[in-house]
Amino acid sequence: MDISRRAFIKSAAVQSAAAAAAVLFPGISFGAWKSLDPSSGSIEWKKTPCRFCGTGCGLLVGVSGDRAVAVKGDPNCSVNKGLCCVKGYHSVQILYGKDRVTKALIRKNGKLVEASMQEALDLVAAKMKETIKSHGKDAVAIYGSGQWSIADGYAASKLFKGCIGTNNVEANARLCMASAVTGFLTSFGLDEPMGCYDDIDHADVFVTWGNNMAEMHPVLFSRMLANRQSKSHVKIIDFATRTTRTSQAADKSIIFRPQTDLAVANAICYEIIRNKWVNWDFVKKHVSFHKGKTNIGYGTQDHFKFTDKAETVDFEAYKAFLEDYTPENVEKISGVSARDIKYMASLYGDPDKKVTSFWCMGMNQHTRGTWINNLVYNIHLLVGKISAPGNSPFSLTGQPSACGTVREVGTLTHKLPHGVVMNEGARKLAAKIWQVPVENIDPKPTYHTVEMFRALDRGDIRFMWIQVTNPMVTMPNLRRYRNGAQKDGRFIVVSEIYPTPTYDVADVVLPSALWIEREGFFGNSERRTQHNGQIIPTPGDTMCNTWQLIEVARRLGYEKQFPWRRETYIEDIWNEYIQFHDSPKHRMAPYKELTVRSGIQWPYVNGLETKWRYNAKYDPAAKGGGFDFYGKPDRKAWIWLRPYEPAAESPDSEYPFWLNTGRVLEHWHTGSMTRRVPILHKAVPESYVEINPEDAAALGITHGSNVKISSRRGAMVMKASINGRGQPPKGMVFVPFFDENYLINEVTLDAFCPISKQPDYKKCAVKLERA
Amino acid sequence: MEKSDQKVGKVFLVFAGLCIVALPFVVLSAFSFGHKEIDTAVIETPDLDFDYNGKAIFENYGRISKDYLEGISTERTLSEYYSRRQYLGSPPYIPHKVEEADRTQIECLTCHAKGGWTEELRRHTPLTPHPEQAACRQCHVPKAEGEPFVSSNWMSVAPPLLGRSALPGAPPPIPHDLQMRGNCVACHVGPGAVTVIRTEHPSRGNCRQCHVPDSYAAPFERKTRS
Repeated sequence: MDISRRAFIKSAAVQSAAAAAAVLFPGISFGAWKSLDPSSGSIEWKKTPCRFCGTGCGLLVGVSGDRAVAVKGDPNCSVNKGLCCVKGYHSVQILYGKDRVTKALIRKNGKLVEASMQEALDLVAAKMKETIKSHGKDAVAIYGSGQWSIADGYAASKLFKGCIGTNNVEANARLCMASAVTGFLTSFGLDEPMGCYDDIDHADVFVTWGNNMAEMHPVLFSRMLANRQSKSHVKIIDFATRTTRTSQAADKSIIFRPQTDLAVANAICYEIIRNKWVNWDFVKKHVSFHKGKTNIGYGTQDHFKFTDKAETVDFEAYKAFLEDYTPENVEKISGVSARDIKYMASLYGDPDKKVTSFWCMGMNQHTRGTWINNLVYNIHLLVGKISAPGNSPFSLTGQPSACGTVREVGTLTHKLPHGVVMNEGARKLAAKIWQVPVENIDPKPTYHTVEMFRALDRGDIRFMWIQVTNPMVTMPNLRRYRNGAQKDGRFIVVSEIYPTPTYDVADVVLPSALWIEREGFFGNSERRTQHNGQIIPTPGDTMCNTWQLIEVARRLGYEKQFPWRRETYIEDIWNEYIQFHDSPKHRMAPYKELTVRSGIQWPYVNGLETKWRYNAKYDPAAKGGGFDFYGKPDRKAWIWLRPYEPAAESPDSEYPFWLNTGRVLEHWHTGSMTRRVPILHKAVPESYVEINPEDAAALGITHGSNVKISSRRGAMVMKASINGRGQPPKGMVFVPFFDENYLINEVTLDAFCPISKQPDYKKCAVKLERA
Repeated sequence: MEKSDQKVGKVFLVFAGLCIVALPFVVLSAFSFGHKEIDTAVIETPDLDFDYNGKAIFENYGRISKDYLEGISTERTLSEYYSRRQYLGSPPYIPHKVEEADRTQIECLTCHAKGGWTEELRRHTPLTPHPEQAACRQCHVPKAEGEPFVSSNWMSVAPPLLGRSALPGAPPPIPHDLQMRGNCVACHVGPGAVTVIRTEHPSRGNCRQCHVPDSYAAPFERKTRS
């Protein structure tokens, strides 16, 4: 039975590949790629989640012999239903860059020289022991990623928090999703979206909040366009600080001044109340009102500390708070016309329209990131448009496993796989599952990401292991942190696949197995866990990141906690990990099911996925007949009184422009993978600075000419782009950060949201000069 | 004199009456928007038509019917397409008879902005990717009859090969410049398109999500730190 099914799939795949080639390229020879030896056989298709963004598209990778040779969208995956974006279609080419790191490297006399894996791992373990002995356990740290597989993050957390006993575990998702997490926790008490991608097929109105989905979540964007194409009334409103491909495709583009989204969101709520569009039935039963501290600072100083304090208030206090946010007042702050504010309010307020809001980095990389997340939930809660098909405030993630690994496994200083380190019950549960004494787990969080790199600079941290991320391109105010990492007495271990600026500062480089060269799990934006098997062999001495951690853990004497066999360790880790989430609020699917299906959403209860949380119709954890916001002790969703406060640094006469940074469609993050894919590199070979045509004309800058961008922290000379991919309004410039030859983060500011500790990469002040 | 004054007066009265009748509707529609969407007056219109007229292209796509998107014919070949051009991207000449009275742009656009079957030429009309450029015959001219004045040594590069996907089945890159040819649908969709370059998935609305320009660039190389 099994054999005949496999044979059938194989023959079907061969036929479909041949047919596709014949239809696509009639009578034309393929010249662009080297052919494999014809005896290597035909293509076999194997499933995996895509390596890149948080959308989590299902891919089918075509394998011939030992090599990945083709990609198609997985038609069985409900996320993308067979479609990919240009990165996904060419993703397997990231495996074959010529400068792939396949040997361990150790810095000797200032130079990285090849070494055996044994020697490198011995050295890493010895350095850790030595550092702990001389400087204490909180002098060693691990810095991971939302691109970590779930097993990587789990092994790291168990080793550092459970065994070594330090909370020095952070991940780059702090730079990407922390405000989304604190937004969820403060409004609902539990992390991650209540809705799912099916909302895209149900909604009548989409509002994208500072979110260029056409380039950053292209497959979800095209699903939105398909919905609009099939129904004449569907509208897309792009609410942004810069005009993008998303603005161009939208029915309406509304531009606001940076940071003033806070004021506009409050003004929308003001209008909803003024026009009596509040859904009182919902609000009375399911919403409570709260206010927190104001004037909360920006965290630009070392050792900055902030703790919010919630105070319960009533609807009248909320209404009085909103009096400052009339559309006419907010027009003056935001530059958005009162009419446009009223228009947005009328869309949210219309009881006959289902509204989905999307956001990602625009709202999260924000010095008031937690607040703006709260404020958009406020809008949806006032009109009761939440937790039902098409009515969805939807926080998208940037990375393929920011949700799966960082948020669910809890690879952040204050987190455990279930709960926080400050909570005794959470520590006890972790100690029991990890088989460590409960005293091992430190109840005090240490450093969030920015503070962790400051501690490395100061010398409080002496040893840092960096996996699957490139902080020497992505840290804001980069120069300080690069100089810090290169100081004497610091030891940096980097698990990498290609040479990068982070590899350049390493004392040991461990060659990593990448994506489908190892078995693993990702978790996407819509609570979907996705498994991939090892599809192709590991090249050279490369080793799976999880196994690297296990090898070092054993050298440190933790054989008992890391007992797994090479053949089954990923499955064993999964089975241990899911004990943390064994309740109807978060139950994960069993390993066997995940290996055969194209992703499964949690909570997975009695063999069923939960598509909409907090709604008894869809969620087995919800009690009663309707909504049940069970994350908070009062079983209500919280509306927050959060005011508008200005950005950490705004343009002035000396530095008159806003600097905004971000991504482009073709490149993934710092480009360490995508720049090694020829078609992606050729499409966008280098970074540039987008300037408004009027500003450019006033400064005498033409398309392609050199511009010097300087801030109080650093300067960068790069080419101008005018009327290119995106267009900033007058007074703003935009720079993609993927290019290591133009380190724009030497110019950005390391201010962050005091609640989430996530830096704001979208706002600082710069000046421009011809260069 | 009197008669014509009366006429003017009557017309005025009728007009004034109409205004009075219409006034409440105007006022009502202005103030009672309720849940109707307000048509907003934009204070600062952002310039949305950059990046090869992105806005116009998305809007144009939204107006094209499903029938047209799925329309198929086998009338046009690539060699015929290139035979009307002097080099890649040059404006093609007008291959059919044009009457001398046919000087204005509007008459070209009658057919070339919307496509459809022409009985006279027994073919489907190809679409222009840049209907916003209205002075067609500034660039497109009828083919001269007879022999050239003197022969020419003109040469240019060969047209790009098809099937330039980086992997089997991967979306091929865009082999041409996008200036005035950024509207993919015009040439790659519908019965007027050249058969071998017509897309099989016209219902996908965001072409450049998968197809990216194949411009010249040296391979990526690190500027290695010492």
